[in-house]
Amino acid sequence: MKRMLNWFRRRKLESDLDRELQYHIDRRVNDLLHSGLLEPEARRRAALELGGATQIREEVRDIWLTRWLRDFVYDLRFSARSLLRSPSFTATAVLSLALGIGATTAIYSLVDQVVLRELPVAHPERLVLIDWKGEQLAETPLGSDNLMSYPICRDLQQQKRFFDGVFCRAATTINLSTGGDPKPTAAELVSGTYFSILGVSAAPGRLLTIDDDQTPGSSPVVVLSYDFWKNQLGSAPDIVGRKVLVNRYPMTVVGVAAPTFHGIDVGEIPSLWVPAVMSAQAIPGFNTMLDHRTRWVQILGQLRPDVSLAQVRAGLQPWFKSMLKEETRRTEFPKVDPGMLRRFLASTLEVTPAPQGHSVLRHSLSRPLWVLFGATAVLLALACLNVAGLFLARGSARQREVSTRLALGASRGRIGRQLLADSVLLAFTGGLLGVVMAPVAVRALIAFLPRDTAANGLQANVDTRMLLFAFLVSLAAGFLAGCVPALQAGRKSLESSLRERGGTPSGGLSLRRGIVTAQIAFTLILMVAAGLFIQTLHGLLAKGPGFETSSLISFGIQPALNGYSGAEETQLIRRISEGIRNSGSTQASAIASVQLLLGGAWSNSLTIQSGERFTTDHEVQMNAVTPGFFETLGTRIVAGRDFNEHDSLDVAVVNQSLPVSKNGQRVVIVNEAFVKRYFGGRSPLGARVAMGSAPDAKPDTEIIGVVQNISYRNVREQWEQAYFPIGTELSGSNFYVRFRGTPESAFRSIRAILRSADPTLPITYFRTLDEQIGRSLNTERMLSALSSSFGTLALLLSLVGLYGVMSFVVTQRRREIGIRLALGATRLSTIWLVLRDALAMIAAGTAIALPCVWALGRLVESQLYDVKPTDPVTILAATLVLCSTALGAALIPARRASAVNPTDALRFE
Amino acid sequence: MSSSRFPIPQGTLDMLILQILSLEPAHGYGIGQRLEQISKSVVQINQGSLYPALHRLEQKGWLKAAWRQSETGREAKFYSLTRSGQKQLHVEKASWARLTGAVQLIFDEGAAQ
Repeated sequence: MKRMLNWFRRRKLESDLDRELQYHIDRRVNDLLHSGLLEPEARRRAALELGGATQIREEVRDIWLTRWLRDFVYDLRFSARSLLRSPSFTATAVLSLALGIGATTAIYSLVDQVVLRELPVAHPERLVLIDWKGEQLAETPLGSDNLMSYPICRDLQQQKRFFDGVFCRAATTINLSTGGDPKPTAAELVSGTYFSILGVSAAPGRLLTIDDDQTPGSSPVVVLSYDFWKNQLGSAPDIVGRKVLVNRYPMTVVGVAAPTFHGIDVGEIPSLWVPAVMSAQAIPGFNTMLDHRTRWVQILGQLRPDVSLAQVRAGLQPWFKSMLKEETRRTEFPKVDPGMLRRFLASTLEVTPAPQGHSVLRHSLSRPLWVLFGATAVLLALACLNVAGLFLARGSARQREVSTRLALGASRGRIGRQLLADSVLLAFTGGLLGVVMAPVAVRALIAFLPRDTAANGLQANVDTRMLLFAFLVSLAAGFLAGCVPALQAGRKSLESSLRERGGTPSGGLSLRRGIVTAQIAFTLILMVAAGLFIQTLHGLLAKGPGFETSSLISFGIQPALNGYSGAEETQLIRRISEGIRNSGSTQASAIASVQLLLGGAWSNSLTIQSGERFTTDHEVQMNAVTPGFFETLGTRIVAGRDFNEHDSLDVAVVNQSLPVSKNGQRVVIVNEAFVKRYFGGRSPLGARVAMGSAPDAKPDTEIIGVVQNISYRNVREQWEQAYFPIGTELSGSNFYVRFRGTPESAFRSIRAILRSADPTLPITYFRTLDEQIGRSLNTERMLSALSSSFGTLALLLSLVGLYGVMSFVVTQRRREIGIRLALGATRLSTIWLVLRDALAMIAAGTAIALPCVWALGRLVESQLYDVKPTDPVTILAATLVLCSTALGAALIPARRASAVNPTDALRFE
Repeated sequence: MSSSRFPIPQGTLDMLILQILSLEPAHGYGIGQRLEQISKSVVQINQGSLYPALHRLEQKGWLKAAWRQSETGREAKFYSLTRSGQKQLHVEKASWARLTGAVQLIFDEGAAQ
């Protein structure tokens, strides 16, 4: 580093050294004069003793800068000068590298943020996620991954042999009021150990401690995030001690977390933290926090420094097994069939490293991101190959310069290094441009992501990790682009290249052919991928959700978060649905308890009694809806009937027991997929089902109708579904409204209805179903948009490469072509002569690519829909497009060859 | 140049420079002179290798340099020992002592037989 700095002050160093040596000589001369020598002799002796000032200077310079660095800096200067002399070459090379590096850096930035980056907490490397592997026999009131019960967290906190600490957390949305109207706000419910384990400090005030996590309902305190405090409250200095309303429940702000801490989920940044013991207040209707059979938190632990992962895994099993046995002896343990019980007892505890925290976003995005990262890497390789091709072309023009330098005594290594300096310089210029472009690209990418960007912490900033990555990639690109020409420079024999005549340089033609072949192979792979992803998106769009989405709006309200009690809430929802039904812009409307196309579902297994009694072999997706739901969506009831007012139920739908209707009858509607799987196409009407798979489950709910299949969690999936009538006690509702006129006017009238019902009630979401479909297909859209733009770029790059090589070949074979034409060859045969060459490269490239497509296919298979990775049509189409455009690119130089005038060509030299 | 003067042993120049500078700061010419004086003109140093050595030691951070007025009134580049230079000198002295001690042992062994 110091040596690098020396480069910038080398002028000062040089003049200092000169002064120092001058002083030495003067003193020596002086002394020698005193001892009686004459001045000329004294000067001669002094210089002789010193042994040559030039040599000393060189030696000292090597100390300042080290030899290779000095040489390299000179090389770079020389490169810069020679590159500036050929601006079009430089611009092409820099631009293609900038594209490659920019794209790779942008995707890397996302991969880093979503998948790789460790949490900015104390000892992220010791964080582990503790998860249940096997049948948990538990209820899941909050949908998420890796869920456990709260009592297990408390048990694990006693395992001090393995952990320095264990905490649990659950993400949720609360209605937060800091003075004005309540707003839906992302919150994290955490155990008291959370902040101390993560080593977070408080900005003002204090953080939550174990004392805040003792008895349910006893600690109405919250900690705000720094960003929330700053952006929403203007960094109010008196924040500590202020009262806020969490779902209308007063809580006290005790502090603000440090600015760098954003929770442990990159996909969901909380604005505040609430003690887990306040879960009943934070999640209305949730009062089973201490229940062993309710899973709602993720558990993470910090390993002791001296304990290995394997030790923990092994060490926790005995405790876990005995806990399982104890669980089965509890009175509230559900009665299940022996198979289920066996699976429950066979469960194990999974401990996995979690230095990046826990994120559902990571789970869903890491695969697509890696696929894109691979695609950009290929694109970058293509750009490098293109630059290498350009270099070879330029290198053959510089052949004589290089030969002359070799003849003057430059080593081949030295020449190679000069060429490397060229490419490294280009790559860094490209890299710099790429880094400038990357944040723009990242911003565009984030817009594609499936979640609301406001709630996730993904950023389009340039940070040190991104810069470091861009630097390394540029360096690698520079070497990749430069090493081929550099090796080439060292290979040719000196005499042969000097003897060559100026007009016929042949440098690296076979290499350039190889490069173009590789480019064509890469391009075909990318184009096939693009074709597959486009087909996937189109397939999904064409399939649709199974109902008409245009002129359909959905919105949600959660009155319980605004302090409504059960009866008040029912009344409010009735009032709102009445208002909507009577509005002029409404065609039909209905309510569902679970939102469609959001990724989640209420699911459970069913016991079916139809002649024989059996249990569904996997979970059935369920929803509770009001009469008219299917009509609103526009799905047909293919057999039986819809629910009517009499079916509406007296109790809320809960997972384990099915609701009873007013007339004492329980009813259910199933979909066609359900009928196909469990009734083999026979009519299910009249058959009876029961919730769950317990042996004592009573199948007393009659199937009264069959509806067409519609999408539930996402468009891709086609699942067995069962619909129950929604209870008379309505809570947390998702409205579906089929409207007349424009969506804007429908939005306006619905908003007015809601405002007149309760002006302070926040709407949790409000969008057309088209938008909803768009959101749920974001990943597919991102993959198809990006892969097709990558494919197009790659195609352009390789066309340029092919065109360059063919032009070169034609120039080189001008004489030969002239002779052929003079001897009577037709123009057509000349064109064929050139095209044959191009065809060979295209065919070779295709031959290399096809096995790769086959091998890489399984990596993207999970991202595809309704199309195989080896889909012959896609592969054929991509190959045809590539071949025809490539032949087109080769045809231009080929026509030029046929237009050669034989006499000119022969006179040319 | 009398034949009774030794060329300085390889690798010891750095140590000698550090030792000279541990007494007081000096410029390059002064260091050369002092080396000759102290060793009673037995050690002959190649003046050409003195300056690269000084710059190498400065680069390593064992010496620091400053321009100051010399005894003749002209500005000269004076070198002085840094803290890490002092440490280095101790290290080198110790290893030198071990080396010469070992050589002496071998000689003594030969004399005893």
